[in-house]
Amino acid sequence: MSTAIDVVDLHKSYGDVRAVDGISLSVTTGEFLGILGPNGAGKTTLIEVVEGLREPDAGTVRVLGQDPHPRNRALLPRIGVQTQSAAFFTRLTAREHLRTMAALYGLGDREADAALARVSLEDKADARVNKLSGGQRQRLAIASALVHDPELVFLDEPTAALDPQARRDLWRLLLDLKEAGKTIVYTTHHLEEAEVLCDRVAIVSAGRVVALGTPRDLIGESDPRVQLVVPRRRLDPQAAHELPGSPDVAVHGEDVVLTTQDPGPLLAALSASVGLDGVRTRTASLEDVYLDLIGAPKP
Amino acid sequence: MSTYTALTKATYKANVRDVATVFFTFAFPLVFLVVFGTIFRGQEVGDTGHGYVDFIASGVLAWGMASAALFGVAFTLMQWRNDDLLRLIRLSPASFGSVIGARYTIALALGLAQVVLFIGVAVSPFFGMRVGPQPWLVVPAVVAGVTAFMAIGVIIGSVANTPEAVAAISNCVVVPMAFLSGSFLPLDMMPDWLQSFSKVLPLRYLNDATAYSLVGAGDAGDYLTALAVLLGFSAVFLAIGAKVFRWTRES
Repeated sequence: MSTAIDVVDLHKSYGDVRAVDGISLSVTTGEFLGILGPNGAGKTTLIEVVEGLREPDAGTVRVLGQDPHPRNRALLPRIGVQTQSAAFFTRLTAREHLRTMAALYGLGDREADAALARVSLEDKADARVNKLSGGQRQRLAIASALVHDPELVFLDEPTAALDPQARRDLWRLLLDLKEAGKTIVYTTHHLEEAEVLCDRVAIVSAGRVVALGTPRDLIGESDPRVQLVVPRRRLDPQAAHELPGSPDVAVHGEDVVLTTQDPGPLLAALSASVGLDGVRTRTASLEDVYLDLIGAPKP
Repeated sequence: MSTYTALTKATYKANVRDVATVFFTFAFPLVFLVVFGTIFRGQEVGDTGHGYVDFIASGVLAWGMASAALFGVAFTLMQWRNDDLLRLIRLSPASFGSVIGARYTIALALGLAQVVLFIGVAVSPFFGMRVGPQPWLVVPAVVAGVTAFMAIGVIIGSVANTPEAVAAISNCVVVPMAFLSGSFLPLDMMPDWLQSFSKVLPLRYLNDATAYSLVGAGDAGDYLTALAVLLGFSAVFLAIGAKVFRWTRES
C-alpha cells in the first residue's frame, strides 16, 4: 500500500497559540480518514498545512510524494478540496459554476457535466447557485472538488447543517467515492457518521492527535461498561442495587439506567424478575470515546 | 476554454445579472450628469471657452469609472474570500495572471462602456457637450484610471470583511474625493487652497485626463502628466494591495 499523506512531527503556531503542536500522521492510498476534534483543536490548521495553504514552522509534509508548499502546481490537480462555506462563483448556475471550476484546471465542459452527474444534480443544472437547498449546495461543493478527478479529496464538514435524509444521501455519495478508490480526508462533528464512514479516525485536541485508529478499536480500548435502560414502572431503583453485576443505578426521567462491567448476569436476573420487554442496552459509542479524550464533562 | 476566458465570462455574468451593479455603474452616474447638467445648462466656465456640461460630463464620468472600478473589485475580493472561493482558486493550478487578467478585462470593458454611454447622453442637444478633437485619447485615460482605482479596491477588499464595511470605506474614499477633485463642480469655481489640495487626489488626474481627451480642455502636457501620476498611484496602491492581500478569512 502506498502512502497518500505523510506528516511528521508537524508544528504550526500563530503568535503564542500552538495550533498544531507535534502531529505525525500517515494516510494510506484509498483510505477514508476522519478528523474529529472540538473547534479550535487545530484540525483546520492541520488540513491547511497539508493542502499547502500554510507553511509549517517545523516538521515535514508529503502529499502524494510531494511537498505541497510553496504552491505546487504539479501537485494541485491531484487533490480536490471542498470548503465549509459554499464557495461558488456569484450569480452563476450550477452548471456554469462547475464549468468555470473545470476551466481553472484547464478542463472543458464535458468534465464539468460529468461531475454534475456524479453528484446527481443534473436536474438543478440551470438553477442559480444561491437558489439551491443545503443538501444540493453540499453536493455542488463536492462536485467542485471532483471536477478534475483528483486522487486525494479533502472534505470539510460536508454534512454540517443537513437534514437526516440529505445526510444519508451524502453518505452514499461519499461511500461511492471511497469505492472508486479515492483517498478521503474529512473533518466532521458527527461522530456516529464517522463511525459509519471512516476506515480510521484521528481525534485531535489542543494541537495533538490524542487517538488514532479504527472506530471499533477506539471504542474497544475505551470504556468496557454497558448500560441497561429499564422503564421505571417496571423496576424499583432501590431494588436495583441488589441485582448481580453490581450496577451503578441512576434515574433518568421515566427510566432506570443500570451501568455495569458485567452485563450477562444482570440481564439474566432482569429477565427472570421483571422481564426484558422495553429494556434497552447501550454500549460505549465513538461519542463517549471522543468526550473522554477531549476531557469534556460526562453527562 | 482557457482559464482566462472562463473567468472573464463568469465575471461578466456576475456583473450583468446584478441589478445593483448595472444601476450603480451606468444609471447612477447618469443621474448626476442630468442633475448638474440641467442646473448649469447653457452656462460657460469663465474664459475657458467650455460650457459647464463639458466639465461636468467628463468629471462625473471620471467619478463613475473610478467608483465602478473600486467598488467592483473590493466587493468581489471580499465576497470571494468570505465564500472560500479564493481558497479554491489558490488550490487549483490556475495561473494568477489569468485570474487577475479576467477581472481587469471586465473592469476596463465596464469603463469603456461608461464612456460610450456618457458621450452619447452628453452630446444630445439638451446638454450640448462638444466632443474635442482627440476623443480616442480617453482610452489610455480609462486604462490608467481603472488601474489606479482597482488597486484601491484591492486594498479595501482585503481589509474589509463584510459588504457593509466595503460600502462604508469605499464611500468615504470616493465621495469626498469626487467633490474635492472637481468631478461635480469645476475646480475653477473653488478656492485656491482646494485646487492645491486636489493635487494629492488620484481622481483629480483622472478628471484632467478625461476632460482633455473628451472635450479638449487643458493642454497635452496636463494630459500626459495626469496619465503618469495615475500610473504612479497605481504602482503605490498595488504594492500596498499586495501587502494586505489575504487568501483566507483568518491569516
